[in-house]
Amino acid sequence: MSTHASSPSAPAPGKALLVGIAGIAVSLLGLFVHGAEKFATSWLIGMTFWVAVALGVLFLVMIHHIFDAGWSVMLRRQYEHWLSSFTWLALLFVPLLVIAWTHPTLLWSWMDPHYDLAAHGGHGTVGDDVLWSKKSGFLNRNFFTGFTLVSFAAWIGLAAIFRRNSFTQDGDGDAKWTLSSRKWAAGGIPLAAITLSGCIILWVKSTEYHWFSTMYAVWFFANCMRVGLSLGLILMVWLWCRGDFKGLLNDNHMHSIGQLMFAFTVFWAYVTFSQYFLIWNANVPEETFWYNIRETGDWFYVGMTLLFGHFFLPFLTLIHYPVKVNKKLMPYIAFFIASIVLLDICYNVMPSQKVASGDPLPFLQGGLIWTIAAVIGIGGICVWAYLRSFATTKLIPIRDPRIGECLTYHQGHAD
Amino acid sequence: MAHAESTAHAQHSHPILSEVNPVEIPRAVLIENKRDFAWITEKICGIIEGKTPTWWWVLFIAACFVASFTVAGITYLVSTGVGVWGHANPVNWAWDIVNLVFWIGIGHAGTLLSAILCLLRQKWRTSINRAAEAMTIFAVVCAGIFPVFHVGRVWFAWYLFPIPNSNAIWQNFRSPLEWDVFAVSTYGTVSVLFWFVGLVPDLATLRDRFANAGNKLRARLYGFFALGWRGSNRHWSNYEMAYLILAGISTPLVLSVHTIVSFDFAVSLLPGWHTTIFPPYFVAGAIFSGFGMVLTLMLPLRAIYKLEDLITQYHIDCMCKITLATGTMVGYAYGMEFFIAWYGANPYEGFAFINRAFGHYAWAYWIMIACNVVTPQFFWFKAVRQNTALVWILSIFVNVGMWFERFVIIVTSLARDFLPSSWGYYSPSIVEIFTFFGTFGVFSVLFLLFIRFLPIMPMAELKAVSPQADPHAGHDHH
Repeated sequence: MSTHASSPSAPAPGKALLVGIAGIAVSLLGLFVHGAEKFATSWLIGMTFWVAVALGVLFLVMIHHIFDAGWSVMLRRQYEHWLSSFTWLALLFVPLLVIAWTHPTLLWSWMDPHYDLAAHGGHGTVGDDVLWSKKSGFLNRNFFTGFTLVSFAAWIGLAAIFRRNSFTQDGDGDAKWTLSSRKWAAGGIPLAAITLSGCIILWVKSTEYHWFSTMYAVWFFANCMRVGLSLGLILMVWLWCRGDFKGLLNDNHMHSIGQLMFAFTVFWAYVTFSQYFLIWNANVPEETFWYNIRETGDWFYVGMTLLFGHFFLPFLTLIHYPVKVNKKLMPYIAFFIASIVLLDICYNVMPSQKVASGDPLPFLQGGLIWTIAAVIGIGGICVWAYLRSFATTKLIPIRDPRIGECLTYHQGHAD
Repeated sequence: MAHAESTAHAQHSHPILSEVNPVEIPRAVLIENKRDFAWITEKICGIIEGKTPTWWWVLFIAACFVASFTVAGITYLVSTGVGVWGHANPVNWAWDIVNLVFWIGIGHAGTLLSAILCLLRQKWRTSINRAAEAMTIFAVVCAGIFPVFHVGRVWFAWYLFPIPNSNAIWQNFRSPLEWDVFAVSTYGTVSVLFWFVGLVPDLATLRDRFANAGNKLRARLYGFFALGWRGSNRHWSNYEMAYLILAGISTPLVLSVHTIVSFDFAVSLLPGWHTTIFPPYFVAGAIFSGFGMVLTLMLPLRAIYKLEDLITQYHIDCMCKITLATGTMVGYAYGMEFFIAWYGANPYEGFAFINRAFGHYAWAYWIMIACNVVTPQFFWFKAVRQNTALVWILSIFVNVGMWFERFVIIVTSLARDFLPSSWGYYSPSIVEIFTFFGTFGVFSVLFLLFIRFLPIMPMAELKAVSPQADPHAGHDHH
């Protein structure tokens, strides 16, 4: 099957793999320099970020199918390549499972009923803590492991189905693949919503297991969508710069992706503000403590950066049409949004780790380098997976029923 | 055709275009049987211009009779006092706020169809958005009755607004009830504006048709509201821009209104009310209930006026799927609330939810679950979506379920508050039942007047999505 004969040569994935391995190696170095806790925190942040990217991509592919969207067919092909990262993300999650089973208190103190809470200003052990024992049916190591494995299996399975359907259609041009994807997307969205919710509660929210918020999974979903859209835009413009998408990508595609980025900027702000406001207003200590520790030290400034960087700045830039269609500027905005999503995940994970005094781990500390290394390392593997897949198929889904609409997309089109 | 289209533009610029050969899965047509502009005009205007049907009079008189229950209820209330309602400690909020939230929620589908689907360029909205927008306005009217009259001395209702007065009364801006005043009044105003702007070209059509038919009075009336519309390029250009701006304004409004309504409860400390997911959960619920009502109203209209070519099976499919999606979101929120009530390990919160499901109001809770979570799941099946009678029955269940959702949230939490010695069981008084029952009459009267005197579908917009508007209509290749 000819793949990229009609466009510039497929990019070599080797460099991305090297970057990935180097990042992981540097991250592992942190294990010896700053100890296991910093490594574990860094790895959790890195994994949460890249799983957010992959989940955002998965949701966007499924939304594309159930809406029978026409304009986004080219973008969807790039997302289908990215979905191959799920398998590798499952593999890269193994260190966290190893941590859960060997040194659980590095991240999730509730996994060890003998863990002494006095170290963090509490009383007794986790096992004595009624706030844990009440929810121990959910917060236990077996459920954590089982739910994580089931979730990855569901994501990998869904990813495999959408990839197979789309890539096979390139060859046989059978409409059944589109109809199959549509059905799987309808069922896959609730499945992905449930697994996303459970995983983010188990992986991240439970790092402060006393705290709870019904909005939490919606917050993570908003971040998944924002970072998934940002990635899509970066990939589209990168392919345009390489020459692959010259004559294919037009301003209207850019505008539509930009509009979605704008919409989810507002959605993130809506969700995050609602959660903060309702907790602040009620002023119940069992909820406010989570925000209180994030108003101490340098976390206050991180919070302010999130407020302005995650909302106001993207909102005020993406609202303008000329910005949304600017192929030079938009990748920077997309990269900025992705960086702020990473910061948001740091804001949720890092303060639950405590220094010797019992204060939250500050944001600016030596261990941050291992977090960056973990993000680059895991990201390198994801990019490698994308590039490997990229080289195996057509640049665009040439037999997709809506490819014609996508190639001639203009604002008057309904879909 | 699509292949040719796709390659025509840029064949010279990208070699892969020569390989593009899309498989055929035709898109659903929005207007069936290739109806042309004249047919659309005749069909919609004919509803207004024709003789008033007997069924209309029967329904109108019945609706007026039902509406009189509201008049009776509030007359008795105002002349006697709010004590005639069934409220008593600890349930000091009940049917008034339940009915406010219910009717406000109903209105959301109209704004979603007119604003959000407009921004998303979903052209299928054109067949139903006009009636849904009208429904929004009438629902807001019904909703407004409850907060205005629950103050008892209704002549003091203007105290809700920050108007300087001799008593030096100033509003409590920290109360979400005060935010409601601004949210709902802004929502009502913008909804009316949006509806009216959309009507202008169609009113001009009616003006011209009545003028040609020699009906001067009606020509003048429609002409007055048509604002001198002549259909020039400048008029259309301004109209399109105004419509787009109003869509942009309405979109955050549709989210903010029900968000603020959710704040009425979520800002409190009461178990079952104070939960962070309330804002998006209320918005999803509002859209769910709104689409339930759109289906309830549009399916009979479609059958009576034989509008099958304009409200096609595709439209019904889309509405059913939105109902399914939002109903499932609501189900997710119910599940998450229950889960976090347990996960949070707060005994009061846990009790509130156990009490909802198995306490004195368990019957209401399970009606809610059956109607809001189970009922929409039937829409997964194409055979159900294609059975119009069944869709209509299911839409009634959605309406019932969403009323019960508000009842369950509001009453169960209040009836079992922090102080067991004051626990009670709320039952509505006959005055409350009258007042609420009558609002269906108020709503129906307004809706019947709407379908009799105004175009129930946007003719100009329908024509834009008709086969005749397609420059390639009738040609498979070009």
